[in-house]
Amino acid sequence: MVPATETVLVVDDEQGILEALADLLREEGYRVLTASHGREALERMAEVKPDLVLTDWMMPVLDGPALIERIQGDPALRHISVLGMSAVDVNGLKRLHPGMEFLQKPFDIRALMKQVRKVLDAHRAREG
Amino acid sequence: MSPTEQHPPAFDRIATGVPGLDPILGGGLVASGVYIVVGEPGAGKTLLANQLCYEQARLGTRCLYVTLLAESHSRMLANLRSMSFFDASQLPQRIYYVSGFRVLEEQGLPGLLELLRREMRNHGAGILVLDGLVQAQEAAGSSRDFKKFIHELQVSAGLTRFTALLLTSSVGPTVHPEYTMVDGILELRERTVAMRSWRELQVRKFRGSASLSGSHHFRISEAGVEVFPRLESVVSRSQPPDWGTQRVRFGVPTLDAMIPEGIAAASTTLVMGPPGCGKTILGASHLAEGLRLGEPGLMVSFYEGPDRLLHKTANVGLALGTAVKEGRLALHWNMPAECNLDLVAHTMLEDVRKRGVKRLFVDGLSAMVETSHEPARISPFFAALTQELRRNGVTTFFTLETPRLFGPDMDVPLGTGLSGVAENLLFMRHLELNGRLRRLLSIFKLRDADYDPTLREFLITPQGIEVQPPFQPSPELLLTGIARFPGNHS
Repeated sequence: MVPATETVLVVDDEQGILEALADLLREEGYRVLTASHGREALERMAEVKPDLVLTDWMMPVLDGPALIERIQGDPALRHISVLGMSAVDVNGLKRLHPGMEFLQKPFDIRALMKQVRKVLDAHRAREG
Repeated sequence: MSPTEQHPPAFDRIATGVPGLDPILGGGLVASGVYIVVGEPGAGKTLLANQLCYEQARLGTRCLYVTLLAESHSRMLANLRSMSFFDASQLPQRIYYVSGFRVLEEQGLPGLLELLRREMRNHGAGILVLDGLVQAQEAAGSSRDFKKFIHELQVSAGLTRFTALLLTSSVGPTVHPEYTMVDGILELRERTVAMRSWRELQVRKFRGSASLSGSHHFRISEAGVEVFPRLESVVSRSQPPDWGTQRVRFGVPTLDAMIPEGIAAASTTLVMGPPGCGKTILGASHLAEGLRLGEPGLMVSFYEGPDRLLHKTANVGLALGTAVKEGRLALHWNMPAECNLDLVAHTMLEDVRKRGVKRLFVDGLSAMVETSHEPARISPFFAALTQELRRNGVTTFFTLETPRLFGPDMDVPLGTGLSGVAENLLFMRHLELNGRLRRLLSIFKLRDADYDPTLREFLITPQGIEVQPPFQPSPELLLTGIARFPGNHS
């Protein structure tokens, strides 16, 4: 079980994926927030600061790269860890965004949870 | 028209990237048009729309693909990855997938319309695909609201110059009255007769230019959707070129001797006869003669596979294997149960044009006839096929099996349509005489050439076909298959 205080914000425009991911993360013990695009994610973060943003790449209104740019450009948000996910070949995205961690859709659930845990552990170590 | 008057500008066309579809549409989709693609689930709509996107992305146009309660993007991309047109490097810069379902659920059609306009503008996209129009239709409060949505989308497409493809499953009538305002409607459907099914595409409406009418066969392969325009709708209506006095020979000296001038170049010869009478060997001789003269050849078969045909012809002195290896002769084999008229014709004509084929041998025409689901189509199909072959200067040799080996009934399948368009008709049959099986050949008609009309026995030897001198028994009885020597009427 994970610390109950850890909050993950899941951002995806595909409703089915958003709901499924939220359910899976809740079952693992995380507190989960959802948003269907980047702008909605920023609105959520104005209310609650998550420990991790798990964001899709291609979304309407405000997409993954734009959301990350906003997070990294905002002193109040830049401490939040971000994990990208996409149906597009993530190796190509890694080359375009070095230093970013990505998950390839469709997911292997165990790999997804492992990756989420890894990023959050690094976050906790960093934040003390 | 005075010199100061101007022709209206021709429509810009959008290449669909779907093999065979652009010719049906008169050159492609009309730019800034709104099109509906309708078909049952699994009909190939998503594939077709993605082909359009990848083709346009390849040409430098950005595309936005919006789904509404369709399969997930990851599932869709997983399915597309095995397709030859898929190019991962176009994602996400030139092809962008988003879901509009939540917006539709929460904000209805006005919200969806706003999302489409905004995303098209943000991505600088020239192509919009909306996959799942049926969801939008169901979300509309009324038929009027849905019409208004399509109308406003159409206005946006015209103003900001994008081309839209709206994909929808057929609910109720295939073509709803609400669809009448769009620029074109393509219907994809699957038809089934007995155990066999096939796919058809029909252009139900197309503004801007003429399109090829009727149904066109299509298949789904690793190339995506491939359409084979109905042959009758694509052949040129103009008269084929006059091949003048050019003559060709069958390559069987004793048969050619019966036709001193030879047969007309680019003509069509139909040889009818029962199984095993030598039709294939005569057709192969025709090809071998062309190869000897440096003419590329093509053999299309349905029953005997290439290896067996090469072995069979080698046994009678026709060494075609080398020509196959050198690319001077191609062998196309089709499974008789699954072949399709337009697909066979398309493959055949493509090779004819590509390699400049001058001699064609189609062995086992009955397979082509039997594969057609519409008997009324056989005549116009073969008329179109022979017309196109003639236009390309191809001298064609067809064989058609007659069902009976012996007996007084001839069962000539004249209803197939080909006998009407073939300029040259030869007939072969078996004859039992004095306890020995003999093969007979006769020329029924030849276009623009004198010929020896006598009935001839012929032999198949290790050197090929040898036509014998005129046969002696009572000729008036020979075609019945029951021969008697003169004076013997018992």
